[in-house]
Amino acid sequence: MGLFELKEKIEQRWPGQAKCLFDAKGAECEITCGREVLPWLCGWLFLGYDCSYAGLVVEEGASQWQLRHVFYNDGGFIHVLPGAPLAEKTFPSIVEFVHAADWHEREAEDMFGLVFEGHPRLGDFILHDDAWQENVEPMRRGFDSHAAMSRRKPDTGWRPHRIVREPGAFVMPIGPKFSGVTESVHFLLETVGEDVIRFTPRLFYKWRAIEKLAEGKKADDVLLLAERFAATTAFAHGLAFCQAVECICGTEVPERAKVLRVFLAELERLRQHAGAIQEICESTALVVAASQSGIFEEEMLRASGGLTGHRYLFGLLAPGGLLCDLADNACRVALERSKKALAELNELERRLRVSSSFLDRLEEVGSVASETAAAYGLLGPIARASGVVRDMRRARPYSGYEKFQFDIPGEQEGDGYARLRVLFAEARQSVRIMEQAVAFLQEGPVRQPVELRAGAALGWVEAPRGGAFHWVRLDEHGHIVRYHVAPPSFANWHGFHLAVEKFAFQDFPIMLSSFDLSVAENDR
Amino acid sequence: MIAWTATFIAIFFALCGIGILGALVLPSRHGIVLGWIGCLASSALALAGANSLLAGTIFNRPLWAVPGLATLTLGLDPLSAVFLIITGLVLFPASIFAAGEMGRSSRLNGRAFTIQMLALYASIGLIFLAGDALLFLLAWEMMSIICYLLIVSSREKENAQAGPGYLLLAMGEAGTLAAALGFLLLAASAGTLDFNAIHLVAPDIGEGVRWAVFLLSFFGFGVKAGLVPVNFWLPQAYEAAPRAFVPVLAGATLNLGLYGILRVNAAAMPAAHVGPGLLALLIGVVTALIGILYATTDNDLKIMLAHSSIENAGIITAGLGAGMVFLAANLPIPAAIAFAAALYHLVNHSLFKTLLFFGAGAVEAQTGTRNMDKLGGLIRWMPLTALAFLAGTLSIAALPPFNGFASEWLTLQTMLRAAELSTPGVKLIFALSGAGLALTAALAVTCFVKVFAMSFLGMRRLDETRRVIEPKAGALVPMFILAVLCLLFGVLPTYVIPVLGLAAGPLAGASTADALVPPFFPSNPAHNTLPPEFVSDFHNIGAQVGQSFLPGRGLVVLHRGGAENPVVFAMSTAYMFVVLIVLLLLTYIIVRVWLTRGRKLSRRARWDGGVRRLLPEMTYTATGFSNPVRVVFDAVFRPTMVEDTRETVSEHFRTAILREKERVHLVDKLVFHPVRAAVMKLARGLASLHHGRLNAYAAYVLLMLLAVMVIFLLFQKV
Amino acid sequence: MSQWVFNGIRAGIKTTAYPKGAETAAGTTPGLPAGGDFGAAAARALIERCPTQVFSLADGKVKANVRRCIHCYRCVRAVENKANWEQTYEWTITREGQNEFLSAFKKSIHILVVDAGDCGACLNEVRQLNNPYYNMHRLGFFITPTPRHADVLLAVGPGTDHMRPALKKIYDAMPGPKKVVAVGACALSGGVFAESFVCANGISDVLPVALEIPGNPPPPLAILHGLLVATGRGPAASVLSMLLSGSEAAK
Repeated sequence: MGLFELKEKIEQRWPGQAKCLFDAKGAECEITCGREVLPWLCGWLFLGYDCSYAGLVVEEGASQWQLRHVFYNDGGFIHVLPGAPLAEKTFPSIVEFVHAADWHEREAEDMFGLVFEGHPRLGDFILHDDAWQENVEPMRRGFDSHAAMSRRKPDTGWRPHRIVREPGAFVMPIGPKFSGVTESVHFLLETVGEDVIRFTPRLFYKWRAIEKLAEGKKADDVLLLAERFAATTAFAHGLAFCQAVECICGTEVPERAKVLRVFLAELERLRQHAGAIQEICESTALVVAASQSGIFEEEMLRASGGLTGHRYLFGLLAPGGLLCDLADNACRVALERSKKALAELNELERRLRVSSSFLDRLEEVGSVASETAAAYGLLGPIARASGVVRDMRRARPYSGYEKFQFDIPGEQEGDGYARLRVLFAEARQSVRIMEQAVAFLQEGPVRQPVELRAGAALGWVEAPRGGAFHWVRLDEHGHIVRYHVAPPSFANWHGFHLAVEKFAFQDFPIMLSSFDLSVAENDR
Repeated sequence: MIAWTATFIAIFFALCGIGILGALVLPSRHGIVLGWIGCLASSALALAGANSLLAGTIFNRPLWAVPGLATLTLGLDPLSAVFLIITGLVLFPASIFAAGEMGRSSRLNGRAFTIQMLALYASIGLIFLAGDALLFLLAWEMMSIICYLLIVSSREKENAQAGPGYLLLAMGEAGTLAAALGFLLLAASAGTLDFNAIHLVAPDIGEGVRWAVFLLSFFGFGVKAGLVPVNFWLPQAYEAAPRAFVPVLAGATLNLGLYGILRVNAAAMPAAHVGPGLLALLIGVVTALIGILYATTDNDLKIMLAHSSIENAGIITAGLGAGMVFLAANLPIPAAIAFAAALYHLVNHSLFKTLLFFGAGAVEAQTGTRNMDKLGGLIRWMPLTALAFLAGTLSIAALPPFNGFASEWLTLQTMLRAAELSTPGVKLIFALSGAGLALTAALAVTCFVKVFAMSFLGMRRLDETRRVIEPKAGALVPMFILAVLCLLFGVLPTYVIPVLGLAAGPLAGASTADALVPPFFPSNPAHNTLPPEFVSDFHNIGAQVGQSFLPGRGLVVLHRGGAENPVVFAMSTAYMFVVLIVLLLLTYIIVRVWLTRGRKLSRRARWDGGVRRLLPEMTYTATGFSNPVRVVFDAVFRPTMVEDTRETVSEHFRTAILREKERVHLVDKLVFHPVRAAVMKLARGLASLHHGRLNAYAAYVLLMLLAVMVIFLLFQKV
Repeated sequence: MSQWVFNGIRAGIKTTAYPKGAETAAGTTPGLPAGGDFGAAAARALIERCPTQVFSLADGKVKANVRRCIHCYRCVRAVENKANWEQTYEWTITREGQNEFLSAFKKSIHILVVDAGDCGACLNEVRQLNNPYYNMHRLGFFITPTPRHADVLLAVGPGTDHMRPALKKIYDAMPGPKKVVAVGACALSGGVFAESFVCANGISDVLPVALEIPGNPPPPLAILHGLLVATGRGPAASVLSMLLSGSEAAK
């Protein structure tokens, strides 16, 4: 059906104020609109047209700002574009209706110095105020990093933002270095002791500025970045990037490569879910279960390593297909190993379901209601555990996913246990897809040469942690002009406080593990 | 010898009088008068008590025969003598502290304050020296009124309300009334007001009167001591009282209530039945528990110390109750031990609580706040205050080698002597009480770790512009006097117990010294009364160490049991103290001189998780520290959420989370508020009679007349 | 709960033979490129092809600086002149000028793991050291959350700008003697992030690094080897690498 019906609806609501432009299949729509209708239009798409929010792409054109709020539903992608001359740095904020855009606008503010009118909390986001002076806008074209570095003048009077007014309330700092083997992130827990009243994550300790780094590089080199900024889900992000480049260049990926890509993406999902289950078991101090899920994770890592040479599936993807072919037999071996691991994973789930001490720590802990999950734009298994069932593999199929039979597991409770059940169920579906993929394998090439050309496109995948969106713009030499990543952890970190608040300190590690958040993916 | 005692007493009253006159005459510098005269007077008081106690002089001298009523008698027995010593020990530093405070606080009216304080000293002395109920009540009343004046007339904050003062007066008066009723009942049964005379006829008093007297005096005097359920005035009054006066309130006047209970129920009319003792024990334990729970969770230094006073009064009362039970059960030795333990804790509480109130006062004076949530890190600016305060907290938390340990341990061990009682029910109550006191002791540690850590350690939470410095000598000297006393009373219980035993022994009819401090030193004349094999066992483990240079009976406190179990328990804080010091020195020598010799000592910044800058608001507050206790005991506190609102922008952005919980004190909720509501209701009912209509008033008069006539006629018939 | 105990025992022993014997299971290591004798043209192609400048020419032979390898496999996949690829895992490089641990640290050390901008892979491999396959506890290696107890600082990631003060604080808070072990290509040279203006060229820009473990990410066995070397009981690398054969990887 596509998105063609949108035109009529938009024109009816905002006659003459918004212009719709469709691609041939009606799977992509660009709406150009004036700034005054922007919040209303986005709000209507988000709340009234069943759209999810994918992210905000800011591009600095020669004379114009090009902002791009990307929405999608099962019909396709909708880009809302409010343009403005470069001199204009103020845009209307859409967060009043689209709360999911909160952090995206904060990111744009920090990176480009744009001001979003109506956003109540800008600043101190990616560039920490106690580390950087004001007016550092690293994603601007003329940004001089040497100057910014040498003129370091951080805000020494920085204080944590506090909103809890209760006698004796204080801010409990955790991190950036905390616990055993954890990623670096700083949490501020407002509390009067025992219970978390308000939770504020302070992220971007690991910010590597890959979007800046990518500028001017060849697509092949940026693929290295796409794979390596969040390596536990390296294949998914690499795939999203490749798909964006292939879309720009109109490359038709060979069938065998498509099937292999699906196979590998599901292998990665299986491994990542095993890892997430392992962390949940570990956080509840259920030692045997933690060890056993640790065995599965290592099994899957070895299966990946045995199949592709690299335990995290690096160095396989290339724009246009795969860098090298994989033998059918090797795939079958990997599938058998996965199936064996899955059988044991099922057995583990059966045992966990009857371990009351384990369930006590997960059930009704860290609950996220369905409406808030939708409003915050949560993604992936987290959202599906809260009843927001949208999966990019089904909503906007890529790499031939439309051929595969699989279910999208969903739960309603939104608590830690629901999230764990979704992880187990998705692991089963992944093996199911892998089985079909092996059956679909046919002889053929795995790579189609890419003819690089100028253009821009969105690449998307359902990464193990949820939908990932990569915006790529190439110039005529095939060099990257703009690369923007909206990873699922960015959305899920935004909503993580919903789960933590009102719960006691001792539940915090469990909720953290059950959310399966990646700091590397978020920090980029 | 009597002459010396009497002379000191005379000097005490004379000094109080001179001081009052001097304050009236002098235009300024009242602080000096209070300081010097107070010190001298309290020294005289302590000397009088010591002289009487050690020389064994007791006297009972009729003073003035009030026509038609009774004869006022001055009396001094060992019990009063012990209280005189304690009071003297407390008032001495308290006078210095008050003098120092007066020099600093402009809000205090120097003249009035000095006169009131000295009058209070005199009235307190008179209470202890009263030999009959009438003089006792007169002095008591005087003391109550002066306390009220001290709280009301010298309020430090202009906006402070007179409520706490009135409450104190009203409760004090209600207590006095009850106590007076008790005395009247006692006097009516015994036919005399003289304490000694009452004691002689006490065994003949009937059970009903005994119970009535016990209940009236226990709860009547319990008001001053802060016992549940008549203690709701106490935290408010302590909070409202000026800094210079609170230490006296906690260190001296609290003891008066306990003295009254002891005087009536142990000295004048010893218990004949276990009932009253058990009630006292239970009330004591409940008081202690409730006191420490509220002390742990309160963040105001002064109020928190007030709750802790309630807790300690509970512990003392529990000891007294145990003594009364043992006495009624005809077990004089455990009774003597229990009374000694109670008196010991009473002394200790006076010492360390006064010290802590000095510390709290100094902190408030230097920082401008008593809220522990706003203090922190003071040890860097007030190291001496911190040191003295630490001694006080260690004492009150009952950690060796300080004094609280010795007495609380004795009290707890006394509970174990319940094994000698025959009734299972009584044993059970003792066991539960022991558990309750143990919980109290554990919470007390939590409580005072919080107090010291949140005020003196950690990061400074005070406004950076405020300059914080050590207080002057006027505050430090009294603190250190008491800190040293706390240590001495903790290290040398074997010297304290025999002295207290002189008072506790006669109450129980057994020698406390013999029961608790066996004469292990061969130089002691009583040494030969011990079985030789028992002595040699203890000498083998060093119980004779110190005999060559120390007088006295020994350094071991010991409960002796029967043949089966010759030693119920034994401890020696003196030896413990020496060992502690030796171990500390050895550790230092082994670690620093031997194991790590030649290595540099390196100091690193505190580990903060790697944040760029740890801010004071990122550290635990006092509320946060005690929150687990608050959560665990929610069933007791039953807090009501008075505010829980979220202010948001655009539905999901929260700009403020406002929360406030209100905790009504358990006793307030269960006792004070219902009583107040009933009184108000009664008052409203009465008020509705006063509607100003003349004919109705005429009708009242008529009805009244009729009623009188009916009664008159009825009686005529009889 | 007893079912867990029984179940745990029934799973049997999974632990690797390493370091007593060699680990030969497939997929335990991604391997590293090695230098060798190539023709001039092939060598030039190799050097050009590598995005992180691993290869260089010295005396007519290609030398591989494995510290820089990021496992992109572009020197062995879909090309004609493949580089030599060694499927080993004992890769630890000792940097000079670093103090040796006292013998007291030979049996057991406590390790503090710091993430200085890691992509998650190195950290995940460190996490695997605790799973039954590698079980680092049997070798006396323990993870500690506080620098006060730590003897070794295991740093992963290129050293991002925001983490630099934290890294210094952590190092300062550790008692001596202490060692910094850099794990992974990013920690060694900055890896693919080296050019970013907020990333250092590896941890050695911030802290004195004693040992380097190359790989992107180094497999758990390589990290284990590094820790063994740190405690002065690293097995000789050459013997074990000979025992290992090729893999079923990349054709």
